[in-house]
Amino acid sequence: MKVQKTVELAFLMGAGIVLQITESFLPVSWILPGFKIGFANITGLFALQMYGISAMWLVNLGRVFLACLCQGTLFSVTFWISLAGALLSMAGMSIAYRMKCFSVFGVSVVGASMHSVGQVLMVTWIYQQYFMQLFLPVLLALSIVSGLCTGGLTQLLMKRWKGRNV
Amino acid sequence: MSLTKADKMVIVALMILALGLLIPLFNNAPQSNLAKVYVKDSEVLSIDLSQDSSYTVEGTNGEVKIEVKDHQIRVTQENSPHHLCSKQGFVSDPNTPIVCLPNETVVRIEGGAQQDTMIQ
Repeated sequence: MKVQKTVELAFLMGAGIVLQITESFLPVSWILPGFKIGFANITGLFALQMYGISAMWLVNLGRVFLACLCQGTLFSVTFWISLAGALLSMAGMSIAYRMKCFSVFGVSVVGASMHSVGQVLMVTWIYQQYFMQLFLPVLLALSIVSGLCTGGLTQLLMKRWKGRNV
Repeated sequence: MSLTKADKMVIVALMILALGLLIPLFNNAPQSNLAKVYVKDSEVLSIDLSQDSSYTVEGTNGEVKIEVKDHQIRVTQENSPHHLCSKQGFVSDPNTPIVCLPNETVVRIEGGAQQDTMIQ
């Protein structure tokens, strides 16, 4: 990996950590338990569009680990739920990206919805309580909105980034 | 915004999926007379909903007080940062449990259509 790419990915990861921690202060989860807009995924999407699939996995996995380390929730329930959501959303986004027919918005919506599916699966598995699945339809509907939101922000970011170096 | 055709298809498919998953939720809301209280995954109390009374269980942060009235159940008093479960109020639906995460306590009405009659 070239030094420039390493540095840029590290910057993206750092920005993702800040976004994830900042977002945890926002009380959006009052709308619905477990709902988040997922601003931190902007960095992952950006890495996907700029450097490809492996860069996104690196940025997102590093972000989940380090943000949980910073918040002191590493290897707790929150961390596993977060990791399950991230893994499933990254798998979905990789497939969507490979298919070549999606724009940033489509990839982002797929990622957001897979994230909520992963979280719900992990919650039902950890707590053995099946009521969380009742939230799934609403979470899916909301994740369309949040996916479009993060996709739009990523596109804005990419427009401004064009032809620039760090 | 520049959505491709595939983007729109994914969005529409997700909307349909979300609506499709909602339908079975409204169809099954059986009346039940039994509520169970779980603390840390183990059942601690089984409550008959046909008798109005109040109960107390020991949660992680202290006592959790539960009240039964007119086939409905609610948490009246508990020790937690936001008091979400006591704000939730009365619950009569097996699909909506009362969850108090700080106390690791779950109150849920058992969907007991199969326990409609009992011969003793």
